[in-house]
Amino acid sequence: MFKNEEMEINLGPQHPSTHGVLRVKLRLDGETITHCRPMIGYLHRGVEKICENQTFFQGQVWTDRMDYCSAVANNLGWAEANEKLFGITVPRRAQYIRTMLNEFNRLASHLIWLATHALDIGAMTVFLYAFREREDILDMNEAFCGSRLTTTAFRIGGLREDLPPGFEKMVQKFLAKFPSCLEEYENLLNENRIWKKRTIGVAKLGAEDAIAMGVTGPVLRAAGVPYDIRKAFPYAAYAEMDFEVPTRTEADTYARYLVRMDEMRQSARIIQQCMDGMPEGPVMAKLPKILKAEVNEVYHATEAPKGEIGYYLVGEKGSSNPYRFHVRAPGFINLQSLPKMAEGGLIADIVAAIGTLDIVLGEIDR
Amino acid sequence: MGINQLSTLEHILITTKVEKVMNWSRATSVWPVTFGLACCAIEMMAAGASRFDFDRFGAGIFRATPRQADLMIVAGTVTYKMAPIIKTLYDQMPEPKWVIAMGSCATAGGPFDSYHTVQGVDKVIPVDVYIPGCPPRPESLIYGFMKLQDKIMTSSLADRYKDIFEEVG
Amino acid sequence: MSEPVVPETPQVPEPEAPSGPYVYDYAASPQRQIVMPKTVPLPSLRTYQAEVKAAAEADEAKWVKMQADFETAKAKAEAEGKDAPKPPVRPVPRKDDNDMKTPWPQEAKDADLLRLQECLGAKVEEIFEQAGELTCQVAKESILEALQLCRQDAQLNYEMLADETATHYPAATGFAFSVVYHLTSISRRKRLRLRILVPEGFQPETACAVYPGANWMEREIYDMLGIRFANHPDMTRILCPEDWEGYPLRKDYPTVGLGQRDIAFREDRGGMLERIALQKAGQLGINLKQPKAD
Ligand code: SF4
Repeated sequence: MFKNEEMEINLGPQHPSTHGVLRVKLRLDGETITHCRPMIGYLHRGVEKICENQTFFQGQVWTDRMDYCSAVANNLGWAEANEKLFGITVPRRAQYIRTMLNEFNRLASHLIWLATHALDIGAMTVFLYAFREREDILDMNEAFCGSRLTTTAFRIGGLREDLPPGFEKMVQKFLAKFPSCLEEYENLLNENRIWKKRTIGVAKLGAEDAIAMGVTGPVLRAAGVPYDIRKAFPYAAYAEMDFEVPTRTEADTYARYLVRMDEMRQSARIIQQCMDGMPEGPVMAKLPKILKAEVNEVYHATEAPKGEIGYYLVGEKGSSNPYRFHVRAPGFINLQSLPKMAEGGLIADIVAAIGTLDIVLGEIDR
Repeated sequence: MGINQLSTLEHILITTKVEKVMNWSRATSVWPVTFGLACCAIEMMAAGASRFDFDRFGAGIFRATPRQADLMIVAGTVTYKMAPIIKTLYDQMPEPKWVIAMGSCATAGGPFDSYHTVQGVDKVIPVDVYIPGCPPRPESLIYGFMKLQDKIMTSSLADRYKDIFEEVG
Repeated sequence: MSEPVVPETPQVPEPEAPSGPYVYDYAASPQRQIVMPKTVPLPSLRTYQAEVKAAAEADEAKWVKMQADFETAKAKAEAEGKDAPKPPVRPVPRKDDNDMKTPWPQEAKDADLLRLQECLGAKVEEIFEQAGELTCQVAKESILEALQLCRQDAQLNYEMLADETATHYPAATGFAFSVVYHLTSISRRKRLRLRILVPEGFQPETACAVYPGANWMEREIYDMLGIRFANHPDMTRILCPEDWEGYPLRKDYPTVGLGQRDIAFREDRGGMLERIALQKAGQLGINLKQPKAD
């Protein structure tokens, strides 16, 4: 009786809700998505190739620019992978400072996610609030390493400098006000009818599918799998920290939102513990001026705000460049599950699905 | 009485050039198109958000479509795959239009001297203001934007279309 | 009044001004050079042991030679009636004063590796541990079997494929690439690396049947290194455009590419003309994208 027509539309690569330059090809039946194919590579910058031509010390600069919302987490993975390659032990104070900065970075990344995700769904105010707190964190980044976004925070073997004077005060000031800020966001969103309508039951991804696709991070934890590398394979100073891994079982966009909000609380807790238990001592291990590798390959994974970020390094005997440098980017693998989330849903919900994955194209395309 | 009237007229009348009025109105309501490509886009967002408040300069309304925008802030790395799309978007913007290349990537390729990165957006579209930095701070963006405003204020219609007029003859 | 004596200032020759502005020599920049690797840095217990053995033998031979030299020198000195030379001291390897302890490959002791060897038998080419990581190299034809075993065996139970990537070894004989699979067991908190060595043109079996998440990773490997996977549902380029030439992560590919990035779009609406020209040229068998020799 009615004509049954499918329509193909193209979302991106220049679209305000694609968080950069993602392109998604959609086939629609009415308003329902029948087929979804993400196309990436619009920000492919050849990081892996460049880093293979740089020395071990230099390569960190490019890791900043991969996941630019959480540069410190990338730096940490990079530094630890190299330390594993060379067998370097890092002083304890450096480990604590690294942990603390990493958690600050998690806060900043989640705040950006919250701001943009809420903006996509239509809540503008949260954007302004979240960026207000993020600026405080960037101020601390700046005090520590002189840069707001592209931090290059660590060195192989430790840190370049100790904490600057007055840093502790900044941290305490931030920690004192942050819980009330979180409450502010939650007041705006938790019981917001539009927010709930657009997130509850949207873009579901069950635990089995998630594991099969290799999805990690908050998306996996919102499906009820308590897999957090900070607990499962502890690195830096996480083995000495007391924190919980928040999980939910609903596996939808709202559950992921709640997981991330809880994660921010836990991060604040870890920062407090780092501040309280900060050991004294040097912050840099004793190293030769030039690092020369032996034949070795390592894969080191850390828990970035988006999921498992893994560095695969191959060392060549006597060479100070990595022979092979590869990044297992959490966004790249997580984005693969977008068709699973979006197919069968409404076209309007793909915006929520993309937002909830918390993708950053810089690390997806590298 | 006549004299009195004249002085009131003096108060309410401003004599100026049409060009200047147009430039002034253009310079104070530049609408950028949202065109974040990479890391610099985050700093662009920060410039638009609470602390820096880009709205003060009349440029806070980031438009999602190029057809409603006058300014393209190219914030980030331009790649081989993305370059044709930038060109298409630029062509869709109505005249008069301006381009700011934000960050060293858009200026000259930045740290990515590699196979898939176009070394500067000026290989693809003409650029008015270059802002160095990796990423430039929001203050730099604001300063660059003010430079663009200066440029708009001193521009003249005749200059802008001189080439075209000459070509047409 | 006498004139104040002005001491004569010695004439300092001015530094030679550079003839012209400073120009960065792009042709000599390290990004333009292709340095082909001479060694095959493939970690392996067998090669390590062989190397250690060879080094020890060389050391021993050197020592023997030193002693022999000493004997002859002593005999000569005695014959000539001079003082006897000092007896040689065996050199000890210098100890570096730093916090580095290089992780060397070690014998496999982990139960998982032994289990894999037990189940797969001769298909396992090598097992070893290094830097706390387990590595198992299997024959290239039986990778699917190994993956299935890891996924389904109750004792192994590796649920997740964390990463899959490949490395180019142009200096190797017998193979050209190594493909590595990093598996994670969430329930048992373990990681395992499977490795295969493939020659140019060989199509390893895809892992998509066991781990659906391998889809994009294998597409990336194909895009970057040019290894095609058999039975893959969608073997297309993922990061580079479809019409890209060459495989960037191979060692013989220059970092700056083959000239694709030097596009001149300025006068050309959306690059349409260039694309059409390239297409036309391609149909005629002309390669316009090759860089000009400089
Ligand atoms: S200039 Fe620096 S911060 Fe900006 S896009 Fe390029 S790499 Fe990123």
